[in-house]
Amino acid sequence: MRVVTGVVGNDIHVVANRLIEISLKERGFEVFNLGVNTYLEEFIDAVIETDADVLLISSLNGEAEGWSRDLLFLKSKFDLDGVLFAIGGNLSVGEANAEDMSQKYRAYGYDLVFHQIDLNEGLDIIEQTLKEQN
Amino acid sequence: MFQTERNIITQTPYTDSFDFDEIKDFITNASKNLFISHRFKNSDKILVQPRGGFPTYDKVFELYGEFVGAGVDILPLTIDSNTRLNDYAMAKKMLALSEETDENMLNGYPLVNHGYRVTRKMVTHYDTPISLRHGTPDARLLVEVALASGIFEIEGGPITYLLPYSKNFPLDKAFLYWKYVEKVCAEYSKLNEPINRESFGPLSATLQPPAIVIVIQLLEMLLSLEEGVKSFSVSFSQTGSMSQDIVSSNVIKKLARKYADRFGHNDAIVNLVYHQWMGAFPRDKEFSDSLINTSTVIASLVRADKMITKTRDEAFGIPTKEVNATAVRNTQYTLNMLRGLPVITDEEEEENLTQMVDDIMEAVFNDPADTLWRQVFNSIKKGIIDIPFSPHIINNGEAITIRDEEYNIRFYKRGNIPISDRCLAFERSKVKLGGKSLVENIIHDIGIML
Repeated sequence: MRVVTGVVGNDIHVVANRLIEISLKERGFEVFNLGVNTYLEEFIDAVIETDADVLLISSLNGEAEGWSRDLLFLKSKFDLDGVLFAIGGNLSVGEANAEDMSQKYRAYGYDLVFHQIDLNEGLDIIEQTLKEQN
Repeated sequence: MFQTERNIITQTPYTDSFDFDEIKDFITNASKNLFISHRFKNSDKILVQPRGGFPTYDKVFELYGEFVGAGVDILPLTIDSNTRLNDYAMAKKMLALSEETDENMLNGYPLVNHGYRVTRKMVTHYDTPISLRHGTPDARLLVEVALASGIFEIEGGPITYLLPYSKNFPLDKAFLYWKYVEKVCAEYSKLNEPINRESFGPLSATLQPPAIVIVIQLLEMLLSLEEGVKSFSVSFSQTGSMSQDIVSSNVIKKLARKYADRFGHNDAIVNLVYHQWMGAFPRDKEFSDSLINTSTVIASLVRADKMITKTRDEAFGIPTKEVNATAVRNTQYTLNMLRGLPVITDEEEEENLTQMVDDIMEAVFNDPADTLWRQVFNSIKKGIIDIPFSPHIINNGEAITIRDEEYNIRFYKRGNIPISDRCLAFERSKVKLGGKSLVENIIHDIGIML
């Protein structure tokens, strides 16, 4: 299974990004890590280029919200039906509950939304979802 | 040729017009007290230097007054982040706003915009060495202004100011821009006491393996000395393990001399700088005081020439000048009772670390490129040099480090770093995952001081 991952927007929080990469590799994924400070268009390009199964975007402190508004538009331009879109991290600027965040980001076009949940828990859910799809 | 390049670099509406003859005169006749290289030579105590910088001249002037009152040895001048990215127009605008409103609209002193004529007044007023702290990949103009102002220590380097700070600033350009900086420092070093260059050993301050830190320190030292710099400081930050700090210090001191001599720089002076804990700080201020105190004890044990201080407000943002000065005063107080400590050695650990550093250094020198900077550039590209937790795209990012039970930072995976099987086995023999996943261990190991 191939995963494209990275941190969206003008965000240089590298530690979590690196931990996600290590965790994914430990679980046997082939990982394409675009690193910090990545634009949404670059994620989509990488998904197409690598024929990825999963796009896992991470974000801290609400950066993702402004950057996610174009996701549905970008998805509509390409055939990305088989790709699982996931986003996780701290998805709001201030405090927010996970359910509200989940609804909001699903509307932006994500299949899985992890607001402030443990990294391994999120990755378990991704693996579970992939299993159910196949 | 080089002077033509300097004329072009310094001709900008964002700073004073440069009068190179006048600057040469100033440096030739400058007070010895402004040179940290002179202080290093004539002092047998660890020099204490905080961090700090504000947008306006007046606030930096007051900050320095506070520091001098607290018994500081070396003053810092921290530069704002617009200047670090060469955006002098934005720095100018924010400086004007800061002066109008008394709010700090910049996170440091926009030295280029202030210019050397004004800044020099402050420098000569305090007659204390000042160290330039920035983070700039292209520091050519900034360093010209700093030296003309009387700031005779320049921190940074092409690797240490790039890999931890930037995602895609071209590394080859950084090498060439820093070559310019080294040449200017070397030229001015002939006039009076030498200009001191200092490398930035903390890197990304997150589980950095001492072998890689030391390799990068040695390479930046060699790149600087080969341009004619005569006084250089290697540095590293508190690892979280007191014994690993001592081992690192013994090895870096020995190897800095060895490699400087091997390349014919027998006349160059190499100093050691120790950074108090650079990782995440506790939110409990009493804990922070305790941490800073312990850092000071370790700085003494590792026989550093200079120590850079933190403050009890580290977890909360940029400290006030009072809190910053208190940290200096307390550090001097603690240092005062740490005289004449015994020299500690650990032969097995030092041998292992020395072996790893030597192996990586040889791999760099074996690169077929024709100049040292290209060899280093290629080595970073190939992952021979690889730092954990770098945001830069050129960094290989395969090496993984983890703490052992004594909190020493160990290689868990070496990636393309050419350390021997024997050294890797030694490192891994110390590590116990304790039934938790690798990532859980890493998260714990990053946050040990919280």
